[in-house]
Amino acid sequence: MNPSNTVLIIDDDPDFVRAVGGLMAASGYQVETAAGGRDGLERAKALRPDLILLDIMMADRTEGFFTLEQLRDVPGLERTPVIVISSIYAAQPAFKVSPEAGWLPADLFLAKPVDPARLLAESSRLIAATAADQPSSPPGRSNGR
Amino acid sequence: MKILKIPKKHLDLFVSVLPAFGELYAPVKRGSGYAFDRPAAWSDVQMAYPRTILPPRKFFLPPREATFRFDPKEGFTDLLVEAATPRVLFGVHAYDIYGLNILDRVFAQGKYADPYYIARRKHTAIIGIDFVPDDRHFASSMNADFVDTGFDLFLSDIGDHYLVLVGTSRGDDMAVMSGSLLEPPTEADFAEYKRRSSERRSASRTQVDLAALPEILEMEYHSQVWEELGQQCLSCGSCSMVCPTCYCFDVNDEVALGSRAGTRVRSWDSCLFKTHALVAGGENFRHSRASRIKFRFYHKQRGFVAEYGRPSCVGCGRCAASCPAGIDIVTVIQKIRGQADANGDRAVGTNAPGR
Repeated sequence: MNPSNTVLIIDDDPDFVRAVGGLMAASGYQVETAAGGRDGLERAKALRPDLILLDIMMADRTEGFFTLEQLRDVPGLERTPVIVISSIYAAQPAFKVSPEAGWLPADLFLAKPVDPARLLAESSRLIAATAADQPSSPPGRSNGR
Repeated sequence: MKILKIPKKHLDLFVSVLPAFGELYAPVKRGSGYAFDRPAAWSDVQMAYPRTILPPRKFFLPPREATFRFDPKEGFTDLLVEAATPRVLFGVHAYDIYGLNILDRVFAQGKYADPYYIARRKHTAIIGIDFVPDDRHFASSMNADFVDTGFDLFLSDIGDHYLVLVGTSRGDDMAVMSGSLLEPPTEADFAEYKRRSSERRSASRTQVDLAALPEILEMEYHSQVWEELGQQCLSCGSCSMVCPTCYCFDVNDEVALGSRAGTRVRSWDSCLFKTHALVAGGENFRHSRASRIKFRFYHKQRGFVAEYGRPSCVGCGRCAASCPAGIDIVTVIQKIRGQADANGDRAVGTNAPGR
């Protein structure tokens, strides 16, 4: 892992941002944050981070889904690794559409509360895979998008 | 047809899954109006809107479209593949779906089958929602306020839920993917749908009498009404631009300076434009504004009927809403009917033109 990798954390929960940000910084990441989807999109365009950690339930409870779609539309951000970290499945029991069902253009979905060791391991793996240009592209959409 | 329902409180979760089927477009605010655009968040989506500025037609017959490139060295490069971007149009009103079904008659079938239009239609999912008519809507008079085909899903408000009508196998895929968000409906839900749909039809305040209108237009071909309209009309073409079923287009070859390579471009045209009926040699078959505005009304309510069996107007009210000269198709039809009765022409037949 390159010590100067930048991670952008998009989450409106300041406690979560402080906790995860501290964890990532202690592991050598340059940590940037944004408290909402729109702000996060602008920062991602400006920073071109090596990794994005994205919350779903922010100002709107589905905001992160829309932000993710917009991130993938930005030229240059299509292959940026995105880990979605959200408690939406616990908070919305009726919502059972599996994140692995191929509809979510993120690289990985982790449910909150997130295991720190797993987060660090997956972050390294995804950044390394992207850098090596291996085919660990986002769980592809079944309709070929 | 499979029918399900979704609690309104889960609609945002359902819409979040839709981008799996294509780029999501939904009605959002645009200035003082509304437009189909990519929403940045669920809170951008306007579920209750009167009409959009431009109709959904813009996705299928874009204002400007490059159809192929040509180059003396490389030959022709067809740009058809770009038409195949998967999209989802969410929140389309019945009269707009009706308008697309009318455009299908022209572009998807028969002698003018257009591969660019067909590719876009095939790759764009349509999710309809019902609407509350305002004073400009007269879709009920045009039989376009309810539609039974042309959508993948159709959402109908029944209080705390939307009934979800599944129209196609793609719609069924969306329903299956959403899984537990959708529930089976009950008899009470169907009763509520029936109550609301007839309530909505009677809520339409603006009515237009279509009985024998094509014949009356034939009789009133030389009416003063057209001259008066010609004085009012600015020939700006706004009515054509915002109409769900206007489809006139112009074709130009745009050649790069200093080369013989270029692009063939198709772009929106309007029969209101001065040059619309101008031909090589300088003859203009509709030189006066009066003749041009008459032509547009005749095409919508007479010519299209002769060709396809129903008027191409769907009663959305966009033309009246956007006309800078305040010309309103409803008033024009009423004037023509009033004029016809004043002239003593009796209406021929008692049946309105077929759907």
